[in-house]
Formats: sequence, structure tokens, C-alpha cells
Amino acid sequence: MPKPILRIENLYKKFRDTEVLKGLSLTVYEGEVVVIIGPSGTGKSTLLRCINRLTEPDSGDIYLEEQKIEPGKSNFSQIRQQIGMVFQDFNLFNHLTAVQNVAIGPIKVKKMDKKKAYDLAMKELERVGMAEKAGNYPAELSGGQKQRVAIARALAMDPKIMLFDEPTSALDPELIGEVLEVMKDLANAGMTMMVVSHEMGFAREAADRIVFLEDGVVAEEGSPEKIFNNPERERTREFISKIARLNSGGDDRGLNNK
Amino acid sequence: MGINFAANKVLASIPYLLGGVWITLQITVLALALSTVLGILLSLLRVYGKGIFHRFSLIYSRLMRSLPLLVILFMLYFLGSEIIDIPAYWAIVLALAFHSAAYQSEIFRGAIQSISKGQMEAALALGMSKYQGIFSVILPQALRRAIPYWANEATIVLKDSSLAYALGVTELMRRGEYVSARTSQPMLTYIIVGLIYLILTYAFTKSMNRIEYKVRIPGLER
Repeated sequence: MPKPILRIENLYKKFRDTEVLKGLSLTVYEGEVVVIIGPSGTGKSTLLRCINRLTEPDSGDIYLEEQKIEPGKSNFSQIRQQIGMVFQDFNLFNHLTAVQNVAIGPIKVKKMDKKKAYDLAMKELERVGMAEKAGNYPAELSGGQKQRVAIARALAMDPKIMLFDEPTSALDPELIGEVLEVMKDLANAGMTMMVVSHEMGFAREAADRIVFLEDGVVAEEGSPEKIFNNPERERTREFISKIARLNSGGDDRGLNNK
Repeated sequence: MGINFAANKVLASIPYLLGGVWITLQITVLALALSTVLGILLSLLRVYGKGIFHRFSLIYSRLMRSLPLLVILFMLYFLGSEIIDIPAYWAIVLALAFHSAAYQSEIFRGAIQSISKGQMEAALALGMSKYQGIFSVILPQALRRAIPYWANEATIVLKDSSLAYALGVTELMRRGEYVSARTSQPMLTYIIVGLIYLILTYAFTKSMNRIEYKVRIPGLER
């Protein structure tokens, strides 16, 4: 039986009068890649943001391994640093070079020795194929390059799980492939990942499980084959065929070049 | 006694006026140092502070920006003298600092709020505290953005330091007044005093432009 890394129990979140999450429960196991899909407004991003408490849920419990995630507790920052997050619009620190962006977490949060942190940062940049651009500032990088640096920044904290919040949605089509490649490498290396994305090709190839979110709860889940080919619910089937049409030709995006 | 003779007397007073420049600069630099620290602090309270801290910053800024600088100066000097005796020199430094801090808090507040929310979120997601996020991520970017607006405010402080003449501090303006009275050449004297302010302001603005260019973030256009 694989070990649960993240356990979400009965999560509720309301914004003003709109209930976004309505008692969502989900468990992610060690080494698992879970891709979350679903119509817009069903709380996919909110779910990820509730996990590391960038958004405060109204109720429900979230556990990272055995530890309950609770803000205000003395170990909150400790827990947060074990959850890597990659944002839709990168959010690289604009005033720092690529390598500084990756090193700042270990330096400030883990109090790592600077020399060691920069060595680590270079290693992580190499991992995402960005070592050559280590000295460049975010504004000097393409969107795909920025996102790869952002992934390296999260990896430098040695997280137990990585959350990806629509990591390719802000990218020009020709830049999506390079980011998906890095994410696939990560998945193959055994990283536990939760990915909000409608990149069907990635989901098909890298996901262990697809979770279809609708109306603030998990409406259906299963292996990519099951969800893509034989979904139980009509709504899931409709949604899959809709994004497949929108994504037409996109199924193999960036995944041919190996 | 010809006009030339009088003009020469004014020109001969230039070294005396330049002595006033030194005091003007002292007042300006001290006031700016104080007001910048205070202004940043107030802006942080305004943006990140809750409850009473936020309100304090807001009320302080509104109040100070509603009062003429001269009123603040006299309040400090005369009200202050009843409790502790504030020397005129420090009265002007503090008045300028308190007054300008209000304006600067608005400048820094705007700069902080112009940094996208995602920057702080990324810092928090890495496990940084809010405090670390502010000082390692937000302020380094916000302060850069504030430079041109801060520089403008700084030239205002430089010029407003001339109000010190009202308390008899012998800075540039006050010395100009002496020279004007002694030589009976007010126009020529104040033209020279004005030129000196112009040169100071110009030199300051130029060097701030250089600094702004030097600390700019490569590739980032604003």
C-alpha cells in the first residue's frame, strides 16, 4: 500500500456568496502524479491554494503526511516549504537573477550557507535545462524559460509534493513543450505531483490518476485510460471531448521530441 | 556710489552665501534620512498593518498633508519650547522630516502596491515569513520603482528647507536676506540665491537619474 503524502478531508471554501469547494476530499500517494481537470470556476486553483494556505479554507482538514497543515502553528513555515508551488504566471522574483531566484529559498528559509545554496541552485537549474541562463533576470527570459526557473526554485526546497497551477496556460504554444518535458522528467523521477492543467497529452502520458472536478467536489476519478476513453459520467465525457477539440493537435504537444 | 560698486559687494558675499549652502545641505540630508525611514515605515503599516497600526499611518498622512509646513515648524518650535527646548536647527529638521514622511509614505505605498500580488505569494509558498517576503522580495522592487518620485519629493525638501529662515537659522535663504539688507540689492542677491538652489536641485536630480539607471533591473521596462 503506497504511503499517503497529502490527505484532504472535506474541504469547503466560499468567496462572498459563491461556494467554490463543497466538501472536497482527495488523497495523493507518494510518487503519484494527479492531474486535475474540470470546467472553469470549479475550484481547481482554489484547491491548490488551500493546500499551502495562500487561500484560507472555511473548513476541512489537510494533512501533509501525518502533520496537519495549520497556519499560526510554529511549524507552519516548515510544512509550507515542503510543498512546492508553480504558478500560472511564474511569479519569479523580478529583481533577482535566475540563480538567485532558486537560491533565495534555501538561504532565507533553510538558512543554508550561501555558497552551498548557489551550488544547489545551479544543480536545480541544470535539471531544468536553464544553467546557461543562470545570470539572467526574469525579464530577459521567455515564458517557458521563466517557468522552468520557477520549477527549479520550488525544487530547491526539496519538497515532498509539487503543486502546479496551470503551469502552461500563460505560455505561447511553442513554449509549452519545454515546460511539459521538465514536468515529465520530474514525474519519471518519482516526484509526487498535483497538476491543474488541460494539457491532454501530458495528462495521458504522465498522470497516474485524473481527477475531474465539478461543482466543488471530485465528480469522477480514475486512470487516464478510463477517464479519457470510458468515463462513467456523461458530463465528464462532454468535458473531455470539448477540451480535446479545443486542444486539437495539442495531444502530442512537446511529447514527440524524445 | 554706482551700481557696480553695490553689485561687487553682492558678489563678494558669495562665499558667505555658500557657507549657508552647507547648512541648507545638512538640514536637507538629515530631514531626508529621517523622513525616508519614517515614510517607509508608515507605508508598511499602511499596506500590511492591521487595525490601529493601519489607522495610525492613514491619519498621520492625512493630518500632515493638511497642515502647511510653516505651521508644523512653528508648532514644533514654540509648543516644543514649553516642554523641551528644541533648537531652531532641529525644529526645521524635524518639521521637514515629519511633513515629508507623510508624502513619502504615499509614494512608497503606491510603489509597494504596484508590485504584483504573486511576488508575495511566491515568497510565502517557499516558506518565507511575511516579514522576509517584505524585506527580501517586495521592498527591493518597490524602492527601485519609487526612486523618481522620491527624488522629486527630495528636491521639495531641499527647497522647503529655506523656511528655516523664519526661525533665524543661517542657511542659504537667511544669509541671502542679510546680504540683501546690507547691500540694498535684493534683486541681484535673490537671483544668486535662486541660481544656487537651481544648481543644487539640478545636480541632485541628475545624480538620482544616474542611481536609478544603475540599480535598474535588466530587461524590465517601466
